[in-house]
Amino acid sequence: MEALSPATPYTPKSTNPNPQTPTQSPSPLAASSARLWRPTAQRNLRNQWSKLASLRQQWESASSSGRAYATLLVNSYLSIKYMPSRELGVLSDMPDILKKASQKLLKQQELHRSKLLSSYKDMVSVVTNMVKTSRSMRCFVKGSSNSPLLQFSGYSECNNDPGDGGGIPVFTFWSISCFEKVAEELVHMLILELNLKRLLVVDLLSVSCKVPTANSLHWSEELYPGEFGDLSMCNLLSEETCKPVYPRLNGQKSDKPTIRRNHQQPDHDVLQVYLTTWRIEVNIDTHRVDEIFAEVGEEIHCRLS
Amino acid sequence: MEAMVKKYQQRFRKVREEMETWAHLQSLLISQFRMASSTILRLQVLQDSTNYGGGLNGVAHIQEAVLLKQMESLQKRLLSINNTMEQFHGTVLSLGRIHRDGRQMVKGGSSQLTVKQLQQRVGVKPSLADCVDGLMLLQDMHCSEYLLKSSLVSALSELTLKPSASDLGSLQQILIDQPNIPKEEVQFIFDIIFAEEIC
Repeated sequence: MEALSPATPYTPKSTNPNPQTPTQSPSPLAASSARLWRPTAQRNLRNQWSKLASLRQQWESASSSGRAYATLLVNSYLSIKYMPSRELGVLSDMPDILKKASQKLLKQQELHRSKLLSSYKDMVSVVTNMVKTSRSMRCFVKGSSNSPLLQFSGYSECNNDPGDGGGIPVFTFWSISCFEKVAEELVHMLILELNLKRLLVVDLLSVSCKVPTANSLHWSEELYPGEFGDLSMCNLLSEETCKPVYPRLNGQKSDKPTIRRNHQQPDHDVLQVYLTTWRIEVNIDTHRVDEIFAEVGEEIHCRLS
Repeated sequence: MEAMVKKYQQRFRKVREEMETWAHLQSLLISQFRMASSTILRLQVLQDSTNYGGGLNGVAHIQEAVLLKQMESLQKRLLSINNTMEQFHGTVLSLGRIHRDGRQMVKGGSSQLTVKQLQQRVGVKPSLADCVDGLMLLQDMHCSEYLLKSSLVSALSELTLKPSASDLGSLQQILIDQPNIPKEEVQFIFDIIFAEEIC
């Protein structure tokens, strides 16, 4: 059933869809069934791609609310950190004012922490949905192909039907595998970005005040129940170690990271780098993403934005 | 004479419209300038590899990638600033046109007006000289302010290479202050031209 093998390293730029080379198909559909297959396949592709377009929007909103909570978290952390050196003026006469203020800030920090985590969860669910969608581009013949009444479904019932209509163009030029290639390219960017965001979430959640180790999270821990299941769907869980794979950038090999864990608390600049890295989404080439949706939209005669 | 004053007042209304456009562009430019200067300052932090703390230093080439993206977005911001500057230029040009047209009315006509006629005042209505001078002054102010803004913008792009928070701050302050367009003076000009509406 697994049509794609996302584990194999590939560079998206070089895999431009080439309509001239349809994939080898063991059983090209007969002309009549191709005629019947095409409308169903077209409907399916339109559905899946508009789903991808709306998921992309959802990613943007989840990512930006995540950034807002990350910023709040960093701000409350810095406020607590600089609390003792604050000039409190007349307030300094009030008993326990520092302690009370810090406690209040800690409470806020806890709130931002949980909001950040839930934004991360939203992002994971967007990406898993994208993965599912990108793997549902094919359209299979249901039942016997000799039957006069052809039916189609999203999953294969017999092994020799690849579900791509024998590699024929679905609309004008592109075969199913062309659509799959660009979908994979798109999803690949988001998977890498999700992985990097996870790293930032782990680090930001570990930011704590007085006890550096108590709140500290580890990369290999599940951030919420069931996270590893979701990650493995995105191919972000190592099969050998059953731990999340370490983030890498697009086109880079993932080698064993040499993490210099310093137990020093991050300062203002380090936190600024975290927030900037969150915001700019290094793995997502926005221009290319727009291009993909524009190209596909043109091919399927449907505005995707 | 009165008819001419009316025509001038019409021109001043046009000037007011242009100045509204200017104000809109001004607030746009300020926010674009702020964003660009905070990006420039952030670049400094991003260039220091010791700031990639925690797990980030385990991600190969993260610093280059982050810097590259930031540079790209800075470039976009500078481009949008240039775009705004072009719109400012357009406003300055139309102010110039209004001013030239106004001068034509007193100088280009078949009957040359005497100095006395120019300075003649009917009731609270402005004299023709008030009108001509007012248009010239307003055009002058905006033209010099446009030139000042252009040099501020080029100073901003130069600061990309050696950013300093205080320099960026002062550039921004000058940009906000618009020293060539003193508000009271502008108000004074309009008060004279439209004195009858105030009464």
